[in-house]
Amino acid sequence: MVAIHLDTVLAEFVPNRRLTSPAPTLSALLDDLEERFPRLRFRIRDETGSVRRFIRVFVNGAEVVGPKGLGTTLDPKDEVDFLHSVQGG
Amino acid sequence: MASKTVRVYLGTRKGGYVAESDAKRRKWSVRGPFQPGKDVFHVYPDPRHPGTVYSAANSGFVGPMFYRSTDHGRKWTELAPPMMTLSKARPSPFGADGPPHYPIVNLWHIEAGPVSEPSTVFLGVDPASLYRSDDSGASWAPVPGLNDHATRPKWNPGAGGMCLHTILIDPTRPSRMYVGISAAGMFRSDDSGEHWRPANRGVAVSFMPEKHPEVGQCVHKVALDPAHPETSYRQDHDGIFVSHDGMENWKRVGRPLESDFGFVVGVAQTRPGQAYFVPLEEKTRTGFTKGPEVFRWAERSRSWAPTIRNRLTPGDVGTHREALALDRLDPPGIYLGTTTGQLLVSPDGDRNWLQVPYLFPSIHSVAVASPENSGS
Repeated sequence: MVAIHLDTVLAEFVPNRRLTSPAPTLSALLDDLEERFPRLRFRIRDETGSVRRFIRVFVNGAEVVGPKGLGTTLDPKDEVDFLHSVQGG
Repeated sequence: MASKTVRVYLGTRKGGYVAESDAKRRKWSVRGPFQPGKDVFHVYPDPRHPGTVYSAANSGFVGPMFYRSTDHGRKWTELAPPMMTLSKARPSPFGADGPPHYPIVNLWHIEAGPVSEPSTVFLGVDPASLYRSDDSGASWAPVPGLNDHATRPKWNPGAGGMCLHTILIDPTRPSRMYVGISAAGMFRSDDSGEHWRPANRGVAVSFMPEKHPEVGQCVHKVALDPAHPETSYRQDHDGIFVSHDGMENWKRVGRPLESDFGFVVGVAQTRPGQAYFVPLEEKTRTGFTKGPEVFRWAERSRSWAPTIRNRLTPGDVGTHREALALDRLDPPGIYLGTTTGQLLVSPDGDRNWLQVPYLFPSIHSVAVASPENSGS
C-alpha cells in the first residue's frame, strides 16, 4: 500500500493525516482519496482537474510537477506527501 | 418575548465573526472566528430567513469554500461552490464542454434573490461570473447572459482580481437586476438575468486611453436608494456618482470632497435620500483626515457632511469595498470595518460613533441582521 501524508492545511478534510492507498498512479490515488473522503474533492485538485497552485506533491521526496505528474506510477512501497507552499501571512 | 438582538457579521482575513448587541447598539459582544484562518470575503444574513447566514470563504491553498448556518452563525454546514459538487460522482472536468471556462479564484459576494423566490441565492465570483442557486446554495447554475457577455473580452482585473462584487435586485421590480464588476463596470438586466447591458454612461475612466468606454469602469460598490430604487449611489475608482434613472446615466457628485476615491457606499432603509461614503486618498488607500471618516451625501440639498465628530483613535485607516453596512432600525445603526481590524459603530444614525472593543483581523466585509430581519 502506498503511504500518504497530508499536511496541516488538508487536515480538516480527512479523519487522519496518515493514510494508505492501493492506487497504481498518482491520479488514481487522488480518485481513491476523493471517493473515500468527499470533502477532499476540489481541495488538492481544482475544478479543471489540475493540482492547486499552492499545493505541492512529492513522491519519495521528489516533487511531482505539471499535468503529466498526475500520471506518475506508484509502487506499493512508495510514500506520497501533500504539502503546501510557504505562502501568505 | 422576542429579544432584539442586532448581529453584525464580519468577513475577515482570518475567518468570520459575529458582533452582537441589543437595539441600543452601544455594548457589544463578539463570537468567532468561524472558518478560522480562511480568507472570508463575505458573510451574509439572508433577510428572508431569520437566522440563515451564508459565508464565502477563500484559501490560496485549498480554494474557495461555501457555508450556510441556520442558527445565526453558531454552527455551519459546508456546501459546494459552483462547479465543485460534493456528491460522490465527481463531475469530469473534461466532459462534453471541456474544462470550465472560468475556474473560480475567489468567491466574492452573496445576495438573496427576490422575496417571491425564497430559495434563490446569487453568488458573484472572480473571474467575473454570476451564479444562481434555487435550492439555498446546495447547487449552482451559471448565468450565461452575463458570464458570456459580448463585452467580456474588454473586461480587465482590478487590483483585487476580476471580481463580481455587487449584486442588486430592485425591490419594487424584482425582474430588474444590477451587477458590478471590477473592472468592467455596472450591468443591468430587466428580465431576471437573461439579458444584460452595460450601465456606465457618464462614468469616465482615468486609466484607459478611451475616457468614456461602454465598459471597463472600475466600479467599487453601488447601493440603491431604499425608497426610490431608480436612484442609486456609486463609488467608482474615478469618483462618486449618482443616477436617477436606473443607472442609465450617472452624474459625478463627489468633487467637493478633498478626494472622492474610495471603496464603500451604504444606505439605510429608514433614511432614503442619504448615502454614506468613506473617501480615501487614491495613492495610499487610506483616509485623508488622519482617522476614520464617514461622509453623508444628502440628495435633497445635494451636499456633503462629515459624520464622525467625536474623534476616534487617529491613524491611517482604509476600508475594503464590502465593509460598510446599515441596519433597518430607526435611527439606523451604521457599521464600518477597517483594513486594520476596527469595527466602528454609529448607534444613532451618524450622530455619535464608538469602536467595538475587539481588534479583528483585517475586515473584508460587514453585514447586519437587525431585529426587523433577524427574527431573533
